[in-house]
Amino acid sequence: MARPDPPGWEDADSGRKRYKPVTLMMLTLMTMDLIDVREIRVPNARDGLVFAPGERPLGGGTWLFSEPQPGLTGLVDLTALGWDPIRRTEAGLEIAATCTIAELAALTPRESRDPRPGQAADALFWQCAGSLLASFKIWNVATVGGNVALALPAGPMTSLAASLDAVAVIWTADGGERRTPVAELVTGVRSTGLTHGEVLRSLEIPESSLAARTGFRRIALSPLGRAGTVVIGRVDSSGETVITVTGGTTRPHQLRFDEIPGERALADAVDGIDDWYSDAHGTPDWRRAMSLLFAEQLRGELEAT
Amino acid sequence: MQISMTVNGDEITREAEPRVLLVHFIREILGLTGTHWGCDTSNCGTCVVLMDGLPVKSCTVLAAMADGHDIRTVEGLATGGVLDPVQQGFMEEHGLQCGFCTPGMMLTARALLDRNPHPDDDQIREAISGQICRCTGYATIVRSVQWAAEHPAGAAATGEEVNA
Ligand SMILES: Cc1cc2nc3c(=O)[nH]c(=O)nc-3n(C[C@H](O)[C@H](O)[C@H](O)COP(=O)(O)OP(=O)(O)OC[C@H]3O[C@@H](n4cnc5c(N)ncnc54)[C@H](O)[C@@H]3O)c2cc1C
Ligand code: FES
Ligand code: FES
Repeated sequence: MARPDPPGWEDADSGRKRYKPVTLMMLTLMTMDLIDVREIRVPNARDGLVFAPGERPLGGGTWLFSEPQPGLTGLVDLTALGWDPIRRTEAGLEIAATCTIAELAALTPRESRDPRPGQAADALFWQCAGSLLASFKIWNVATVGGNVALALPAGPMTSLAASLDAVAVIWTADGGERRTPVAELVTGVRSTGLTHGEVLRSLEIPESSLAARTGFRRIALSPLGRAGTVVIGRVDSSGETVITVTGGTTRPHQLRFDEIPGERALADAVDGIDDWYSDAHGTPDWRRAMSLLFAEQLRGELEAT
Repeated sequence: MQISMTVNGDEITREAEPRVLLVHFIREILGLTGTHWGCDTSNCGTCVVLMDGLPVKSCTVLAAMADGHDIRTVEGLATGGVLDPVQQGFMEEHGLQCGFCTPGMMLTARALLDRNPHPDDDQIREAISGQICRCTGYATIVRSVQWAAEHPAGAAATGEEVNA
């Protein structure tokens, strides 16, 4: 294509390319946020996943490129590792960390609100993807693993994974592997149990959760606002009931009962949560009150079905 | 590093720093300034391009991540000197004032119509969600996309030429 490089000229003495001041300004601005990044590595095998100090994994980049990243000197792009986005296994569903939110949402057709036979939790995939305060242009790039690893309170993939008892498969820096429940991996706002050099490889959702009856509630201060709270109810075929509260708390909370709890027991459990989050998207009192209301609504809904 | 991709049907290879975002690669290195750069935080959508036919915000993608992919920018909308129906629709229905959001809006509209040739207003509004227009308002943008849907032959049918 006959398009010019940035307008400039060769300096006769040094032979180096010179630019007009306005072009120089643009060249500076264009690397503004990633000013320290010197290298992007794109490994296609696990042995390339060795992280130097200052290097971090790159999922979709939708957060990494959206704000300044001081101290970030290198990125290791995970997308060329060729992980199957979604795999059915005997044990359930394996979602690669590099699976995009769009790929996950496509798992269940939006038009059919009816879950597939034996897959009662189907609706949650779409509901949680829709909880990301971002248009589908972000879904096309943002990854499930990036969302969990970023650990924002309103991280919808954390809501989804925690509510379904998903287990995070983590590749450790020494070449090994460890597993931990997603509900425990996210420990606070922008804080996880991942250490430098560890990579989230996948999330495993057990078959029993996929077949469970579920219910979903979310509220935000404005129609398209960031989640104030997300409450998800689940009843397994054994009767075990899990109410998962995210979005309004600094980390996921799973309220677990042997059977669908009574109103008092559930309210006491919600009251036991002590880390309601406070920011422009909601006060702790409001988040607590809405979570309590939603938990009770879900209790009634799950009891009735 | 060397980065190769197909841009508007042409294979290109360029040297670029690894940290260069796709929006800057397109604008500064390829000189295709039709792709605009606004918020730089993935919120405004003026930088939308089509990557393998899907709308993405090019400020959320590194040029290196687009290596080997197919990119379409607003410069690739008109073919053979004839406006794409979407471009014609924006003219017919006054879908722009300042034009800053327009390239991204039109590419999203093209991707929508490729998949759903007869969208209703809600589907158009959903398609352009995450893309902000500060001056025209959305009503005429939606009408412009409807015009394109109703005139799939667009400017070709009227025989109008693009003013070079
Ligand atoms: C307009 C807009 C709206 C947004 N709304 C929301 C929202 O409502 N809720 C929300 O939670 N986020 C939101 N985000 C932030 C972000 O887009 C999402 O959290 C997204 O899912 C992050 O995924 P990613 O693949 O793009 O992550 P990246 O930006 O690639 O990475 C995010 C972090 O995770 C690390 N990381 C990525 N993958 C892995 C891995 N496999 N193993 C270990 N570490 C990894 C990276 O090193 C980085 O620190 C929004 C962003 C934008 C631009
Ligand atoms: S510049 Fe990319 S979304 Fe605003
Ligand atoms: S036409 Fe001016 S911002 Fe949309």
